[in-house]
Formats: sequence, structure tokens, C-alpha cells
Amino acid sequence: MMRHELEILRVGDPNADPLLLIHGINPISPKAAFVTQLARTRYVIAPSHPGFGASPLPADFDTMYDLINLYLDVLDHMPEGDLAVAGFGFGGWIAAELAVAGHPRISRLILVNPVGIKIGGREDRDIVHMFNTNAIELNQKAWHDPANRPPGIYGVGWQAAISDEMTDAEMIALARNWDSLCLFAWRPHMFNPQLKHWLHRISAPALVLWGESDRIVTPDYGRHYASLIPTAQFATIPQAGHHPELEQPAAFVAHVEEFLA
Amino acid sequence: MTSIELWNHCENPYPFVPAEILDAAESVRASLPNKYCDPEIAARLYDEVFEEYQLCDDIGLHIVTNEHHSGINNLWAASPVITGIVARITKRVRILSLGTLITVRPDPVRVATEYATIDVLSRGRLDIGFVKSGATEMVSGDANPMRIREREWEAIDLIEKSLTVHDGPFSWEGKFFTHPHVNIWPRCYQQPRPEFWAATSDMPTCAELGRRGFVNTLLFGGYDRTRQAFDTYKQARRTAGLPPPGEDRFSYMAFCYVGDTDEEAQRIGQKIPWFLTVSIKSAPQMSKFMPGQIPPELTPAAWRAGASKRPTNMTVESLIAQGQMFAGNPDTVVKQIKAFREQVGGVGRIIMMTRQGLVTHAEAMKSFQRAAKDVLPQLQDLPPIEHRAAAE
Repeated sequence: MMRHELEILRVGDPNADPLLLIHGINPISPKAAFVTQLARTRYVIAPSHPGFGASPLPADFDTMYDLINLYLDVLDHMPEGDLAVAGFGFGGWIAAELAVAGHPRISRLILVNPVGIKIGGREDRDIVHMFNTNAIELNQKAWHDPANRPPGIYGVGWQAAISDEMTDAEMIALARNWDSLCLFAWRPHMFNPQLKHWLHRISAPALVLWGESDRIVTPDYGRHYASLIPTAQFATIPQAGHHPELEQPAAFVAHVEEFLA
Repeated sequence: MTSIELWNHCENPYPFVPAEILDAAESVRASLPNKYCDPEIAARLYDEVFEEYQLCDDIGLHIVTNEHHSGINNLWAASPVITGIVARITKRVRILSLGTLITVRPDPVRVATEYATIDVLSRGRLDIGFVKSGATEMVSGDANPMRIREREWEAIDLIEKSLTVHDGPFSWEGKFFTHPHVNIWPRCYQQPRPEFWAATSDMPTCAELGRRGFVNTLLFGGYDRTRQAFDTYKQARRTAGLPPPGEDRFSYMAFCYVGDTDEEAQRIGQKIPWFLTVSIKSAPQMSKFMPGQIPPELTPAAWRAGASKRPTNMTVESLIAQGQMFAGNPDTVVKQIKAFREQVGGVGRIIMMTRQGLVTHAEAMKSFQRAAKDVLPQLQDLPPIEHRAAAE
């Protein structure tokens, strides 16, 4: 039993090798096409972080240190089999920290447009500030084409998608996720100043995947990120932004399946 | 018997940026480039408001300073500097700092040091006010807007201990702040410490203020919200078995203009709501979408189309009707304040926001003089208010 209660999405054959998905600013949606497609070959397990989705936020959870240690707990409790871990955006940061920590269950690591490190100079902003930037700008920078966003699924710039069609329950869930993201990632904004110089410890084979049109964190940031991981290969997905798994699910799944094969 | 104090609160606004710039700007706080702030104009504004404060000192109006950053609404960003100057240029009246934004500042011990210094400079005329802050201030100060209520209380506790421990260094290892060696010099002039105030209409916070005996001030809360806050304060004391609070535990800030005639006061008073109609324009990401500002379950009402439109029709009449402005000839203002006192179940400290918006230096000086000469004397030795059943 884990110490903390978490909402967990499980899709696919429980006897298949597990694939742990660590979500970004919002939990993995069961409606997302890429989840169904990945579940053809893997047992997909996608927890909601504490404070996201229906997962409670313990009063003593304050920092990334808490999230990372919680996910080490999650890894301890993964089902048998060859375990791959995929982290998306903010969740990519968590996945990179887990891989640096060297948990023995991680056999493969997939980082999808991850944040988490500081690369540029002190006056260069590597990651667009998600809390201080207008939602319309975020929405434009996060997607190759905002029209590609699947209905009912929300990524960076979700505030620009608020309309009369959005339900109260959706708004409340998004607000709670947003609050929790802020708690963990306001300052330094979306990175751990120390992580960069420990990425060399990652020993599991790694795939760093990037939506070519991402202007929240650019492919150049991704190339640099991948170069710091000795085991990493880097690939981009055309016509996709910060959420290639949502904008180009078929291409995304093809990359993942090829890497895991 | 109750005597109501009058306090002058001026944020030293900067209403000199062309309207077309403000209209085009996403936000007039936090992100408006400071090229639009002419330091010559700012210097004149500082001179004018300090002169107003010196007048207040002569005529018996107490003074409030505050702190906001990076916008047209307030030039008191370096609040301890300003409050220290006020301490030095006045001799008689009390000075309330309302206050250094302690949820933005990284080191409460430094804040306590500043306050102790000002208390000594003023020879014990400082009151210390706390505000939770939020919105654009979190951006300007790069302060995490989450858990600021907890952070505020820990900062208050550390400031209080810093001001009241006199036997050498103590250690603080809290959730938000750590300091292994707290030992401020100078110690504060007033013993055991200056009066504490807090500005809030958040009911759980009002209850905590009641238990702690802080002065609870509301900013433009209107009749109902203010009454509810003060009742919450009183109820919390009753529940805790503490003595009932005097009216001096309750304060209210309203827009205010005292003129020779009602007509004059209303005409000049109409320059004040610039504060609401222009100076609080904030980008959505710094207001309604900022994390931690409202509980998630309240967001649908705040986010739906039209919910965040700025007020543009704030007439003097409507503000007076809502209890958010006191304006008129001196007798009218006395009546308004007395009625407000009755409605909210007692209030001992009225904070007047007069030099606000487009009100000029000369207009402000005139209002202060009339307030001190013709309003304040009528607010002394008032009989007890008739308590309504709801307050009992």
C-alpha cells in the first residue's frame, strides 16, 4: 500500500508490460487517442499528481521534493514487467528527476517536451512563464495549431479555451490543477537549478521527443536537454507543439512504440 | 463613550500616463513600462503628499502608508523608506504602515528591523498593519501566490517575536522561514510592541484577528460585508472566552471628501473612483487566472464571460449609498460616518482615502483641514451604539 492516496487511470491489459505516464499541467485524459493507442501494446498507468484531478493534496506537500519522492513510491508499487516511464512537460521534469535518482524499475525513459532544467543565460528565458503570460499567447505558443486541441482535453493555454460549453466541473478541475502546479513550480519557474548537472547519471535508455512547433520550450532546448543525457536519442514530431501526444497522436505513438520495441 | 479617530490614507497615485497608453496596456500594474513614470513628476508628488502629511500632523489626522508595486496606483513601493520619512517629518500623530507586503518579502526579520527602526525614529508612534496581498503583487515580487495565508501568519508570528524578545538571539525554523540567529537592533520603542492591525474581510482571518486582538480594518467593504466581518471578530472572541472588543479594534477605509458644500464634495469626490475605474486594471493572468486567489469551486462564476468587467460607472451617489464613500459638507460626512458606525455595529477608526485618483494637492489639503476642524470634533465622546440583536 502506498502511503498517499492517488487517482490512477489504468488502461490496457494488466498482463502487458507497464507504461507509467507522468502528466504535465493536467492529468492524462482517458479520452485521449494516444492513451488508447498505447494501451494496445502496454498496460498504461497514469496517476494524477497530488492536488491534480481527484488526488488529494496533503497539507505537507509543498515542493518538487515531495512529488519526486511520491513518484519513487509509485515506482515501488508498479506491477511486474518491463517498466517504461514517460513524462510530459512538467511531468517530464519529474520523470527526469526519477531517472537521475536511479530507481531500479525504470528500464526505459521517455521525456516529451520536458521542462526542469536551466540552459540559457541568466537573462534568457528558456520556458515561457506559464503564470505571468496571457492565456491567448500561451495557447498560440503551446500548439502547432490551437484548433488541433481535442475537445474536452486541455493543455497549456487552457484558459483561452474557456467558453460557455465548458462545464463548471471542468473549470473547477482546471483551477485545482493550476493551483497545484503553481505550488510546485512557481519559483524557480519550472526548473531545478541543480538538475542539469546530474542528468549524466541517467543510465536507462532514453528518448527525448519534441513537438517541432513548441514555443513554450523550443526544440533547441530539447536538443540541449537530450545532449546532457548520455543514453538519450532526440526526435521531433512535425506539426505538433508542446503536446505532441495530443496534436499528433499517431506519430507520437509510432515513436514510442519503436523506442520500446 | 467612543471617540472616532480619522486617518489619512494616500497611496500616492500617478494619474499622468496618457489614457491611450493605459487603454492599450494589458495591465496598468506589474507590466506597465516605467518609461511612463516621469521622475520629475514623481518627485513633485512625493513633496506634495509629504506636505499633506505634515498638515495632518499639525491638525490631528493620523497617517496611513502602504505598499504596492510597479503601477500607476501607488508610488509607495519602497514602503519602509516612505514610512521612515513620515516618522521623521511628523511629531504628533500616529503612523500606520498598512503595510510592508510580508507575503512578498523573503525575510520577516528584516521587516521587523525596519519596523523597530521606524518605531524608534517616531518615538513610539508606529502601528503595524498586515495585508495578505495577491494578484499583481505576486508577479512584481515573484512570490508564490499559493499558501500565502499560512505564509502571512508565520511571518506575523516571526515579526512579533523579533519585536518582543530582548534576551539575545533566538532560533526560528518554520515552514516558510528559517533564521538561526534573530536579534534585532534597535528594539522597538513601544513595549511590548506597536499595535498590530490587519486589513481583511476574509472571515476566518477576521476570526483569528479577534482571538489575537488585532485591529481589523476593511477596505471599501460596504455595510453588509463590514458588519459580517466585525461580527465574526466579536463571535470569535466570545467563543474563545475573551472580553468583548472595544470599537477601537475596528477600522474602515472609505473614499472621502469633505467640502464646503455637498455639491463641492461630490464634484471633487467624483475624481476619486479613478482608483477603481482605471488604476486596478490587471491582466487576466495576474487577476482572475492567478493561482490561489479564490477557491477552485468559485472559479466558474469568476471566469464566465463578463464576470470580470471593470467598473466604469462608479458615481459618488452609488459609492455613498454602498457605504464606500463619505462625501459632503462636514455635517453630511459626520452623519454618514455615524450611520455607518451604527450599521456595522461600531467602528473606532475611519481611514479616509482622499488624495486618490485625480484629486489635486490643493483639493486634498482643503478636505483634510475641513475634516480636522469640522468633522473630527463631532465624532468625539459618542454615546454607545444601539446594538442590534444580530450582534449579540
